[in-house]
Amino acid sequence: MAAVVAATPLARLRIFAQAPPITETETATLKAIAEVVLPSVVGREERDHFVAEFVAWVRNYKEGADMGHGYGASTLRSPSGPSPAPRYPSQFASLDDAAKAKGASSFATLRPDDRRAVLEAALNGPPQVTRLPSQPTGQSLVADFMGFYFTSSDAWDLAYQAQIGRDRCRTLDGSDQAPEPLTPRA
Amino acid sequence: MARYEADVVIIGGGITAAMIAEKLIELRPNLSIIVVEAGKRLFDFENRFEYRQRNLDYGENQWPGDFIADQSARGVISRSMAVGGSALHWGGVCNRFSEEDTRLKSMYGLAVDWPVEWKDLERFYCEAERRLGVSGEPSPLAEDWRSEPYPMPSMTMSYNLKQLKSWAEQSGIKFWTTPQAKNTVEGYGGRGRCRRCNTCEICPTGARYSPDWTFKQLLTGKKIQLHDQTLVRKLVLDDRTTRVASAQAVREDGADDDVQYRARTFILASGYCWSAHLLLLSANSRFPNGLANSSDHVGRYMTGHLAYQTTIDLDLRIFPGMNDQHSLISRQFFRCRPDSPYVRHDLRVWENAGGRGPQLRDADGKVLLGDVLLADWRKRTTRGTARVRGYFDAHPDRDSRLTLDAAAKNRWGDPMPVIQHRTDQATQARQAATRDHFQSLFALLAKAGDGRMGNISGLNYQDHPGGGCRMGTDPATSVVNSFGRTHDHENLFVVGSPTLPTGGCTNGTLTFVALALRSVPEMVK
Repeated sequence: MAAVVAATPLARLRIFAQAPPITETETATLKAIAEVVLPSVVGREERDHFVAEFVAWVRNYKEGADMGHGYGASTLRSPSGPSPAPRYPSQFASLDDAAKAKGASSFATLRPDDRRAVLEAALNGPPQVTRLPSQPTGQSLVADFMGFYFTSSDAWDLAYQAQIGRDRCRTLDGSDQAPEPLTPRA
Repeated sequence: MARYEADVVIIGGGITAAMIAEKLIELRPNLSIIVVEAGKRLFDFENRFEYRQRNLDYGENQWPGDFIADQSARGVISRSMAVGGSALHWGGVCNRFSEEDTRLKSMYGLAVDWPVEWKDLERFYCEAERRLGVSGEPSPLAEDWRSEPYPMPSMTMSYNLKQLKSWAEQSGIKFWTTPQAKNTVEGYGGRGRCRRCNTCEICPTGARYSPDWTFKQLLTGKKIQLHDQTLVRKLVLDDRTTRVASAQAVREDGADDDVQYRARTFILASGYCWSAHLLLLSANSRFPNGLANSSDHVGRYMTGHLAYQTTIDLDLRIFPGMNDQHSLISRQFFRCRPDSPYVRHDLRVWENAGGRGPQLRDADGKVLLGDVLLADWRKRTTRGTARVRGYFDAHPDRDSRLTLDAAAKNRWGDPMPVIQHRTDQATQARQAATRDHFQSLFALLAKAGDGRMGNISGLNYQDHPGGGCRMGTDPATSVVNSFGRTHDHENLFVVGSPTLPTGGCTNGTLTFVALALRSVPEMVK
């Protein structure tokens, strides 16, 4: 390995910076956010799954990654920017501060109605968030998490109440028929 | 200096190069062939699911490293530079041009006729479809006759497309499914069947044809040599004749000194930008304007097609994502009556998710969360959206050009190209009428389904670009003959997109390949 590195011009090395991980305490806060912002039909197990997916997304983000170029496009996209992760701790702390102002020890221990009010306030800013991001940016932890779920293939299936499976590779067989309805959840 | 010698050197490693190499070796199994490609070989098929997932999750390049940072141009040019070329990314659409495209001057008094008879070209369309592995539904129009069936049955018409077809045909326009180089049966060409991953830019299953597949097969069979990461900078003539004697190259990875290729035949298969660019770079005292350029036509008549598009909101239950890269097509407008205002175009219809997604705020700006957000979203799922687009014929002016940009050089000091498309006067004169035509057409479609038409937008660039080394019978007004042989140098061919005199009104890749395949027997004469 050392020989390979020595033989490779420094300019051509691409070193991916890894984002700082989301802590266990912060993960608990995310679960408390999820309980409010995700539809109630999404049960606890599924919510926890999406929280874990979000945490993994943040952990596996690569700064400076090759973002390529659109098909036929004449310009290269800029490499991926900084991870959103460093912008999250202060936002987690703000949620806890808002919870303490309501007499709770942390955001995760707030009653759901109070959590909703705190989250709405966070989204109303400043800065005000107007739309769900297609990918986490760090500007708003709450919007990032919501966008992460609501742009997912699973969320679209839930909205359409059908097993479309947009992001999965699926057989052509049966695609001439409407997708099967979603299995009713407990 | 490293020196290599072969019967044939193919410069460029894209789809036409792959097809030519494959056919050459079938016709002349003992031929020695070297394919020289500036970019890398990205043959790690086993990683494509991961690349696809990283692209979906993070927007990262599906083909990591498929470009050379300082090998770029101003103007419309794909940055893909790797073994496989732009067709690593393509959607696999395999529409044919029509006879009208080859006889514009004779039929309409516009642009030029191609030096190819339609019946002749049709045979090579069939061959291209066989080699690429095209699945398709024959056009119901008699003018679109074909001498062979498609190699594979058409892609299943998804539930969404069935709904859209029922709607669109109420307008009186006939639609059918678009032919594609995607396997609808398992194993065609050794590749898998489409699994509608919705990410054709990187097909993780190999169902969509990709030139790297052909190159890997040729390499496995030791049929060719492939020199990737090797940039050809100049073609050098024999001292006493007009034959090309060698190609001078450099290794992009700095592994060797300069590289020289000598061959009996040189085939320039570097796409519409880099083919003309290399000819201009290769200027010498005998050809001061560049090789193959005694006519001053290299880098001229850069072509392509333009488009208008819109979305139509419909009272249809569409499920976005069932197979969103598959589409309907009509070729009804490939023909234009000589006594009507001239406009020729294809017409495509796709499922679309536009306007159907989740929203954070309601119309009053109030934040929506949880069940309230979902209920609001579901209101938008009861109707559907169609995306409608027509590529239309736009003919190039002589001054639609690729030139060398002295102000922009790569690390080797070579000036990079600048491309400035310009349509001819006749195309410009009918611009307003063309837009009116599409406005009426889209309105007709919308009305058929009691739909609501969105804004019409036009492309501000020429799609599926070609030209720059146009073919013709007259050496004074063209660069190559109908087989791609340059008028000035008997052992130098230019193939594929650069040779098109006009860009047609539908996706061009199948035509680039068909023309290239037609050239191959001529190359080994």
